[in-house]
Amino acid sequence: MKAIKILLLGVAISLSLTVAHARTLTYAMYGDIKDWDPAAAFSLEVVMLANVYEPLLWYNPEGADERFTPALATDWSVSDDGLSWTFTLREGVTFQDGTPFNAEAAKLSLDRTREMRQGAWYIWAGVESIEAIDTHELVITTETPQPIDLIASSQYGAYIYSPDAAEQGTDWFNEGNAAGTGPYQVRQWSQGQQVVLEAFDQYWGGWEANQYDRVILRVVTENATQVQMLMSGEADFISLVPADIVDRVDQEVGLSSYAVPSWKNSQFLINTQKYPTDNRAFRQALTHLWDYDSVVNEVYDGHASVGEGPIPKTMWGHNGDLQNPTFDLERARELLNESGIPESDWEISMAYIGTDEAYKNSALLFQAMAAQVGVDVDLLPGDWGVIWNRAKDLSTAPNLQSMTWWPTYPTPNDWLIGLFRTEDSTLFNLSHYSNPEYDRLVTEGAALEGYDREAAVQNYEEAQRILVDDAVAIFYADIQSRVARATDIGGVQENPAYNAVFFYDLYEQ
Amino acid sequence: MKTYLAQRLVQMFFILLGVLTLTFLLSRVLPGSPVEMMLGHRPSVEQIEAARAELGLDKPVAVQFLVYLRDLAQGDLGTSLRTGQPVTSDLFNRFGATFELTTLALTIVIVVGIPLGVLSAVRQNTWPDHVVRTTSIAGMALPVFLIAMLMQMVFYGRLGWFPLQGRIDAEIALDFPFAQRTGFYLVDSLLAGQWEAFKSAALHLVLPVVTLAMASMAVVTRITRNTMVEVLQQDHIRTLRAYGVGSRKVYYKYALKATLIPLLTVIGLAYGYMLGGSVVVEFIFDWPGMGGYAVGGITRNDFPAVMGATLLLAVIYLSLNLVIDLLYHLVDPRLELK
Repeated sequence: MKAIKILLLGVAISLSLTVAHARTLTYAMYGDIKDWDPAAAFSLEVVMLANVYEPLLWYNPEGADERFTPALATDWSVSDDGLSWTFTLREGVTFQDGTPFNAEAAKLSLDRTREMRQGAWYIWAGVESIEAIDTHELVITTETPQPIDLIASSQYGAYIYSPDAAEQGTDWFNEGNAAGTGPYQVRQWSQGQQVVLEAFDQYWGGWEANQYDRVILRVVTENATQVQMLMSGEADFISLVPADIVDRVDQEVGLSSYAVPSWKNSQFLINTQKYPTDNRAFRQALTHLWDYDSVVNEVYDGHASVGEGPIPKTMWGHNGDLQNPTFDLERARELLNESGIPESDWEISMAYIGTDEAYKNSALLFQAMAAQVGVDVDLLPGDWGVIWNRAKDLSTAPNLQSMTWWPTYPTPNDWLIGLFRTEDSTLFNLSHYSNPEYDRLVTEGAALEGYDREAAVQNYEEAQRILVDDAVAIFYADIQSRVARATDIGGVQENPAYNAVFFYDLYEQ
Repeated sequence: MKTYLAQRLVQMFFILLGVLTLTFLLSRVLPGSPVEMMLGHRPSVEQIEAARAELGLDKPVAVQFLVYLRDLAQGDLGTSLRTGQPVTSDLFNRFGATFELTTLALTIVIVVGIPLGVLSAVRQNTWPDHVVRTTSIAGMALPVFLIAMLMQMVFYGRLGWFPLQGRIDAEIALDFPFAQRTGFYLVDSLLAGQWEAFKSAALHLVLPVVTLAMASMAVVTRITRNTMVEVLQQDHIRTLRAYGVGSRKVYYKYALKATLIPLLTVIGLAYGYMLGGSVVVEFIFDWPGMGGYAVGGITRNDFPAVMGATLLLAVIYLSLNLVIDLLYHLVDPRLELK
């Protein structure tokens, strides 16, 4: 008995001792890394990718002096015809596996990504060839003019990885391996639990004393648990911040929480080929039945702003002079009568992701408002895979379909082409919208982006006007992303182009 | 004995086949498609087609099932759509975590639950009996998720005694590494002589183990009490007492032995209940076991993962039942194996 007591005492004493750690930052991410291969990754992986790998260029947030920050390319230019891009690459850079970085390695990475045809490979679809013309000169040739500088700064599909790693292939990556040129390297991966990143000693940017030398990406799926961990100091940065706790967390000593603009926006696409929404006046009426302010203030707790057309207000090319519809039941009634559709046919269906509270509450509000003018709304909540498949096929498509969109690389044509250009077989144009003049404007705009941005913007502004006039969707919210973190972290910068935190920029205050 | 075993194994095979058929059909009949989940933000038409072909979703359900069974016979449970890893290796990695959790919880249930039941029975209708009965009713009535969250609120939120979730502190696991031999962190860290890691693993185990033990303990305590009360009224106990045998000996040597058969049944049931309960507990405590894996699989339409986890849980449950049936015979040889 005495022996047990002594043992217990010993356990108690040693449990109270603590260990000293390296300068560590803990980031709670809401899912594990699935695709470790930078050529295939197209999801939550960006948190790891943007710190372990580097693209040729980083895109700067709007308002910065320069559009790009040089990453692996120090200089770049485009030929007058807009078809040939020359990148001068950074010298003295080494991959984390010891292989030297040069034009050949960059070519190999990008070619492999293009050929694998996975994840975000399509951003390179217009590229004809990539050539290493010198040890540190890379030339990218395109079939038609393309904004290769923007594409090269994409948050997916544009990372450069070691040729040795590429040779070992996807299976090697998926064992939790990585070999980029970025400031952090992967030290350990416990599947479903955490990824540990450690400072890469030979990073070309060098290191300073108060930067973090270890970053732990912890997988925490519950948002309540993430908040708990932040409150207790177990996490320094969390990724799932419920809208209703932002103010509360911000009042805590040592923590701050706030909303920042993102390039994510939400809309209900209106089916332009299905009765009765194939009628333009009828569609316009629907856009006046939406209570824009209430949705933004109540459903999103103020952490969103009313959408103005298809392009978020913080993205370049956004048209600020659109005649956006307002919540106006009288106007809606007028338009409904103008439409010539008999009142007995004022029935529409509305599909959305059933597990999403914001969609659900917005849809319920819309249903209530529509009922006031005699429009009957049938709500169809469901799993994304199911509602998406139904919406693609005209015979099963609803009149209204929920859609949240964000760009793969920073360009307005991601929305304009991805969502509304005519498609041979429907994929994301779930409005089933088809307008030759519109198609011409956006296709031409995409080609102009590479060498005449102002002309491209003109095309895009006109295209946005057409979409709003044709009432192809209820554009209702530019979403803000929410941040919650410890205040002693310095150097935090928000960049809507990347759904990631750049740990290298951070330091302990 | 041998024929009995053979019979039971054949029976098990058919039950497992039934379980598989049912889960397979359910996963295919329920709305939701794994392809969209698998391909990320913006798949192209050709990527969707390729993924459907790769998963065999373009074939009739019956063919898909036969292909699944064929692969299973070769030990291949498919690849998880969510983690991108083979389901067999996913399950292997996670089995140890669940096994450590449930084994410890079961130990607590037996070591604490049975003596409490005995105490309650011998002190029938006195205050210790009332206390035990009331708390065990509460333990049964409270849902596991509520107990788990209360535990977190009190022992992590208020008192800060134990960690919120996870199996081991991230940095400790990194700074004091140990090889995985048994899959039990407590054992492996000790074998490696990593005291810090052991400490961290032990602290992380407390809340989930206690949560899991509480609900099952209630059942075990109550059954022990009730059968014990019955046994204590029987003639042979009265005779023992008349001979002047000490109370302690009467209770633990003679009376308890007579309650073993129903107790075994209950412990078996409790373990099954724990495997079910561990799904919830693991989810709330972010415990990297099979429960959390199954839940994650269900929410993301990860068919292969759900099938694999269900199959493994069914095998464990059935084997446990078999072991208990064999134990009946051992405890009371008068019971024939039929």
